[in-house]
Amino acid sequence: METVLSSSNKLKEPAGLSSRIQWLRDYYFRGTERAWNNEFTCWTTGTPWDVIYNELTFYIVPETYTLLGTLGASYRQAARPVELHPDFWHWPLVERRAWFVREVIVNCVPQEILPGDLLAGARFNVQTSMCFTAEGSKTWQKLVKGKNGARAQMKRFHDHGYGNAGATSGHLIPGYERLLSLGWKGIHAELMSFYNALNKNERTGPKGAQLRAMITVSTMARDLASRYKSLCENLAQSEPDAHRRTELRTMAANLSRVPWEPATTFWEAVQALWINHMLVMTDENYPGAGVSFGRVDQYLYPYYEKSSRDGMDREWAKEILKCFWIHANTAYDAMIRNGNQGITAGFGQLVTLSGLGAKGLDMTNDLTYVILEVIDEMSPILEPKPNVRLHQKSPEALLDKIVDMIESSQGAPFLLNFDERSMAGMMLEARKAGLADLINRDNVHEYAPVGCLENTMVGNDRSGTVDNNINLLKAVELTLTGGKDLLPFTDPMTGKTESVKQDGPRTPDASFFKTWEDFWRAYEIQTRYIIQKCVDLYEISESIRARFFPTPYLSCLVKGCAEKAKDITQGGAQISFVTLEAVTYATTVDSLLAIKYLVFDKKACTMQELTNALAANWKGFEVLQAMAKNRAPKYGRDDDEADELARKVMQLWCDETWRHTTKATGRRFRPGMLSWNYWAGDGYVMAASADGRTKGQFLSNAICPSNGVDIKGPTSNANSVGKVLGGKAKDGRGDWQDYFNDLPNGASHTITFNPSILRDPSHKDKFKAFLKGYAHNGGTALQINMLDPGMLKDAQAHPQDYRHLLVRITGYNAYFTTVGRELQNEVIERVSHNKF
Amino acid sequence: MTHQKMQKGTILEIIRMSTEDGPGIRTTIFFKGCPLACRWCHNPESISAKPQIQWIQTSCIGCGICVETCPEKALTHTAEGITINRAVCTDCGVCTEECPTTAMELLGKKWSIPDLASEVVKDRVFFEQSGGGVTLSGGEPTLQKDFCLGLLKELRGKGIQTALDTCGQVPQSILAELLPYVDVLLYDLKEIDSKKHKTFTGVGNEKILSNAVFAAHFKKTHPYPKTLWIRTPIIPGTTDRADNIQRLGDFIRTNLAGAVDRWELCAFNNLCRDKYARLGMDWPYADQALPERSFMEQLTGIAKNCVPQTSVCWSGSTKLNQNTSTGLPDKSTGVPLIGC
Repeated sequence: METVLSSSNKLKEPAGLSSRIQWLRDYYFRGTERAWNNEFTCWTTGTPWDVIYNELTFYIVPETYTLLGTLGASYRQAARPVELHPDFWHWPLVERRAWFVREVIVNCVPQEILPGDLLAGARFNVQTSMCFTAEGSKTWQKLVKGKNGARAQMKRFHDHGYGNAGATSGHLIPGYERLLSLGWKGIHAELMSFYNALNKNERTGPKGAQLRAMITVSTMARDLASRYKSLCENLAQSEPDAHRRTELRTMAANLSRVPWEPATTFWEAVQALWINHMLVMTDENYPGAGVSFGRVDQYLYPYYEKSSRDGMDREWAKEILKCFWIHANTAYDAMIRNGNQGITAGFGQLVTLSGLGAKGLDMTNDLTYVILEVIDEMSPILEPKPNVRLHQKSPEALLDKIVDMIESSQGAPFLLNFDERSMAGMMLEARKAGLADLINRDNVHEYAPVGCLENTMVGNDRSGTVDNNINLLKAVELTLTGGKDLLPFTDPMTGKTESVKQDGPRTPDASFFKTWEDFWRAYEIQTRYIIQKCVDLYEISESIRARFFPTPYLSCLVKGCAEKAKDITQGGAQISFVTLEAVTYATTVDSLLAIKYLVFDKKACTMQELTNALAANWKGFEVLQAMAKNRAPKYGRDDDEADELARKVMQLWCDETWRHTTKATGRRFRPGMLSWNYWAGDGYVMAASADGRTKGQFLSNAICPSNGVDIKGPTSNANSVGKVLGGKAKDGRGDWQDYFNDLPNGASHTITFNPSILRDPSHKDKFKAFLKGYAHNGGTALQINMLDPGMLKDAQAHPQDYRHLLVRITGYNAYFTTVGRELQNEVIERVSHNKF
Repeated sequence: MTHQKMQKGTILEIIRMSTEDGPGIRTTIFFKGCPLACRWCHNPESISAKPQIQWIQTSCIGCGICVETCPEKALTHTAEGITINRAVCTDCGVCTEECPTTAMELLGKKWSIPDLASEVVKDRVFFEQSGGGVTLSGGEPTLQKDFCLGLLKELRGKGIQTALDTCGQVPQSILAELLPYVDVLLYDLKEIDSKKHKTFTGVGNEKILSNAVFAAHFKKTHPYPKTLWIRTPIIPGTTDRADNIQRLGDFIRTNLAGAVDRWELCAFNNLCRDKYARLGMDWPYADQALPERSFMEQLTGIAKNCVPQTSVCWSGSTKLNQNTSTGLPDKSTGVPLIGC
């Protein structure tokens, strides 16, 4: 066997694109230079009290806090008035909103088709009036912007380092599959029969209003498609190229059927899927964050198979899908003038590929590979974000394809989701909430992730997967101080410093704790407190949304809403959890481990000295800080003792989370770990921590070990993660097979590898084996990153953060940071030149 | 058995998810102590059988606690950092226990067989998925023969695939005792000329060559070892002679026929330069450039011609091309392996 040590890795470039797709892709990346874009257009009822910005949905994005007022004002200023139906103000809110959104997207927003595009459905980003009456507007303003309103409370929560919470749009998988097979016609008929079954009182009450609103929007996609159909016909008439003319006529024919009628071909199905999907973003006034597609390779497969049988070329299927890919990216145009991609690059319209089916069978099919090829040929591209579901029996061909893509993209252009561990979590939530009729052994494999990796069921589930983000570390701080902030808060805008007040429970003075158990008991109390505080904060925005921001179009696509005649924002979905995402997990565990080690085990300092050190941001306590960093045990090293405490921390906050339910909407809280970018930003908000971290340094990300502490490598890192999620049942009786998983929502996990792990076929096999091992021992989801020269240079500058970087050459081993500067430079040069 | 459980081995390091020490994903145990003293040794800290102290500059915060706590007054705090007076230092390890940053490090820790075995089986699932297991390397594991044997037995009992990485300078009787518990034998043949071998490593190669023949025969006549890989370090100006490869190849073909599954030529690398400095040792290869890729390929060609029936490969880093300013990818570059 020949060992080939070099590969000429270059920055990934798109490949194999037709001139059509190449043009569309290039055009997209011209950004603000484009003549066409999908920027928000704003629409008002024309009243002086109108509100056009549901700011609650951005409460989980701290970067927007200083912009909330400006955005709301500028959307109002830019808004164009819509001529209202004469009865408009006689209708209840949900019907007004339904009519208004429908009117805007069908009759006000222009329809366009880009050159060569095979799919219709261009502009969908809108900010529409919230359709308030004068009185409604006044109440909303007070509840949201009042002195003790939602905004002020949310800001206080974040300023003091607890995290953030808000009732957020998106983050679910609508019932797209069902809609393709029924068509809107079928949904419309269902809604009519539900409405007709209401008695007279119900019809005049909220149930009648809700169903009438849903009936109103159930023809929105049909009427929009009809506009696009006319456009295609007009374009065809003036189109000089015969080939393109035929395409436009087929598009018109597609649009005359779908999405109203059930789809009959692959092209129709993709066309219908796109329009149905983009209108969710229209309805929520929210560009796509977490509105996910689910298992597209499964539910599009019957159409793909039929069209292939009827003579569709495989490459043509890819051409249609590539147009779909371009369309999904236009979500980013929403705030295009704030920067090329608006405020955030994390929109996460997730597609799920492969995974288990019934009876433990693998569901990979030809469409799985078609879509992977589309991703490979289009990348780098942002949307839709792919998530490939792996399990113990994933086929070798799929793993080979995945590994090849990771190699050529210098990191995975998708997330990997692991079925067995994920399904154990879904079974747990079914058990906890008594939902065995909806989630059980026979259907749990139908789950799919939304956004990034948040596991939910499909078409009947909204579980608020990103709505609550709590810094577990705050409970450690409150334990040290007896329930107060360690540092007084200074407002960065005004420069004013607040005096420190009692906030959490008055647990005993930590300096009198005699044993570690004393500390732990107080920590338990403070953990309960911070979770209660988060739940209380969430209730504010959740109850306001339920009262003021119905989304009747989305409600049509989620089972339970029509049946109960209840909007999805009011808890209408059959499965309606809300998720509490724990942030700072490893920093919290490592801090607790350090307190135990420094104060109780080694007696290297007193509790008071430690608290003083943290208040001083470790200045003057460098030796103690070094001990905390280097001598105290850490989570993520497969050290059973440290991981046992990590497990205790996990069980405590999870048990506490399950105890809560929203009052306004009856949604049970469930636990997850997705830190999005908070672990970076909140590092500047939170005081120094006992693990040796200074204020301003990043916190730990989701379920990952703290930065740089996983010095035992990827397998130990994976083992620790699997253990703290609950590991496996010794008797084989876990929640799914022998697996346990305390986090039904899933846990974000990232591991960085050196590109050389994929340098030849035998090493690729080893990497594949790592993924298979991860399916057994690891967590629910994994992002694979590849080391780059930038990271190595950072390691030179901040060796303390990179103690885990191991340099290995046959017969030789050393940690990168212990190698001298000159040789470090040589290593960097090698990595650089292989990459560029 | 109790005696065995009491036994302690001196272990330099345990590396998990190693992809370079045998088939599949492996956990490699580096034993301390080696009967050879190869002048190019990449892991000089593994030569001495005794624990040793080292100081790592990049980890040090200059607190001086080590200087204060050293019972022998062997440490001084100078402008260059901490200097260890090797004549006085007894490698007692007190400073390493007190150092808050782990900049003072004790190379070589004592492990019992049950503790070590339960530590290294943690990646069992990854071994099973990859056809990997645990590699005993070093240093020279067979120098700690009883511990080595006990550990191999313990791992075999746990159903873990084992590999032994040996330099071959070991009494044949010991080899005979160990081999039944070894699945994969990684055997170094460095230099065919015994005089040169003695110059380069401190010992002649007679025992190494005869043990190779013994091991090959053992493999053919016993259930274990199942796999035999020969490894040859290609050291510039030392073992990298065409005639050395040619004659090693002839030896393999003639004396080890049918037993060798793979012959690997391992390119010299210089990343250990700072290890020598830290241990207060001189290293004759400090300024040595890496071999050219074409040169490694040329030697591999010679090797292949000698043993057409055996799989031959080369590994390691090669010299960076000086024309990299063009920005073109340099195909002659080897990749350093950095796992994290």
